[in-house]
Amino acid sequence: MAVLKTENLTRYFGGLSALNRVNMEFRENEILGIIGPNGAGKTTFINVIAGIYLPTDGRIFFNGKEISDLPAHKRCQLGIGRTFQLVRPLQGLSLLENVMVGGLFGKGLRQREARKKAEEWCEFLGLTDVTRDITRMTALEVKKMEIGHALAAQPKLLFLDEVMAGLNSDETIQMIDLVRKIHSRGIIIGIVEHVMRVIRELTDRVIVLDWGEIIAEGPYEKVSNNPRVITAYLGEEA
Amino acid sequence: MRNSRYLLYLAVLIILFTLPLYTGVYLLNVMDIILIYVALALSWDMLLRSGQISFGIAGLFGVGGYAAVLLHLSTGVSPLISIVMGGLAAAVLAWLVGMAVLQLRGMYFAIVTLALAEIFRVIIRNLPDLTGGPEGTVLSSAIFAGNSTRTYWLVLAVAIVSVIASESFRRTRIHFALTSIRNDEIVARSSGIDVFKYLVFIFVITSAIQGMTGGAYAHIYGFVSPEGSFSVDFTLLPIAMALLGGMHSTWGPVVGAVLLGVVSELLKLHIPYGHLLVYGLIIVITILFFPQGILGTLGQRLKKNR
Repeated sequence: MAVLKTENLTRYFGGLSALNRVNMEFRENEILGIIGPNGAGKTTFINVIAGIYLPTDGRIFFNGKEISDLPAHKRCQLGIGRTFQLVRPLQGLSLLENVMVGGLFGKGLRQREARKKAEEWCEFLGLTDVTRDITRMTALEVKKMEIGHALAAQPKLLFLDEVMAGLNSDETIQMIDLVRKIHSRGIIIGIVEHVMRVIRELTDRVIVLDWGEIIAEGPYEKVSNNPRVITAYLGEEA
Repeated sequence: MRNSRYLLYLAVLIILFTLPLYTGVYLLNVMDIILIYVALALSWDMLLRSGQISFGIAGLFGVGGYAAVLLHLSTGVSPLISIVMGGLAAAVLAWLVGMAVLQLRGMYFAIVTLALAEIFRVIIRNLPDLTGGPEGTVLSSAIFAGNSTRTYWLVLAVAIVSVIASESFRRTRIHFALTSIRNDEIVARSSGIDVFKYLVFIFVITSAIQGMTGGAYAHIYGFVSPEGSFSVDFTLLPIAMALLGGMHSTWGPVVGAVLLGVVSELLKLHIPYGHLLVYGLIIVITILFFPQGILGTLGQRLKKNR
């Protein structure tokens, strides 16, 4: 069953189409990879689904309900979570408080419960010394914190926008494990990634975007041999 | 630790409350001004915590003053009630204009609040039948017939209301919402925060405090006028005080208001109008050398030494 479904999803910026009639679905219990060259519309897709941009045309359904016009905060409360390509920690809040924000507003928890839940998420993510200032964290820790921030809102569907970027190979392995752990909690994952190894290891299915359109879809092995995909990444032969 | 902190608050409160027992009228008058600025500096800072810089403090201060005086004169309600209604009037006005103005951010929001304050002043100046026009309106007597002790208690109450509002916002989910919005609105929205709702809320509350303070000020001096009630001092000094003491906190603006208030009184005695020069210098030095303000800088030092 499709938990999230888009119908002819289109988004223009001025005269430029960042997404063009995209039809895709996220199924119960899957990890879906979204790949494509730079500027293909991957992050725009997440932004339109999360409600940061409203679609120019087309419709979005979540759990069978249309959410095309809902503001972002309501979509978060319904269960659509996301992280950001460039980390955006909240200055002035501690590590734990950053994670708490998700529970407080995404789930409407009271402070005490949100704190308790945030502590649980930090433990789950392997984050220690949670009251520390966020200026004293490594890149991996900040990424984990942002995932915790999203998880604290208890999403049904979580978008991870290039969480592996900037991590070394050890950290990448850790992060792959973590994504599996999150997935095993029954959370559907949409993962945007440039590191193909990650896509190969994690995803059940891959969607390839180019110029805002879906050019291929299927298991990674199939998609990676698709001539259109190879052309999109490497360009036409002269 | 926690108990000793509450004991400290209690002690300060008792000293402040009983101050008229051991001081003269002059010091009480100085305290009145300082406490007025405590309320204004705090209210400005509370909005700043959401990332919005207002230059419209004097506008809401003036509107509250006029509303309080005019309501008192026309309906005969007691001055105290009219002061509260001055706050309400400013809140309603803030809600109405906030619906439009709070679509703006950063510099655009700041400039529009500055313009709004000026628009309020010009409107009031040009409604002579209602407001007394350029001459303003004089009350037949100041509040409490000018009794300096009771007047002091009134502004003390206004300042305490601001401190309580500020501290409760620092300790509840509002703190998390405003801090998130200040950091990054896209992150805030993606975390389930209704950004516009919180901005309207904090704008209305801080405007209510500014209006109420303006109402108290108008009744203490028994007088409102376009130039006096909307004086740019009521915008610039609270900002200078909050910056000096330390932004994004309750005690920063309080400390800043007390320090600058005392300094300006001393300077007024020795070099009239020289205080304005010193304010300017203090703002420049603060921004250049310790942008976190006094309390913010102290806090950082303490953390480093630990």
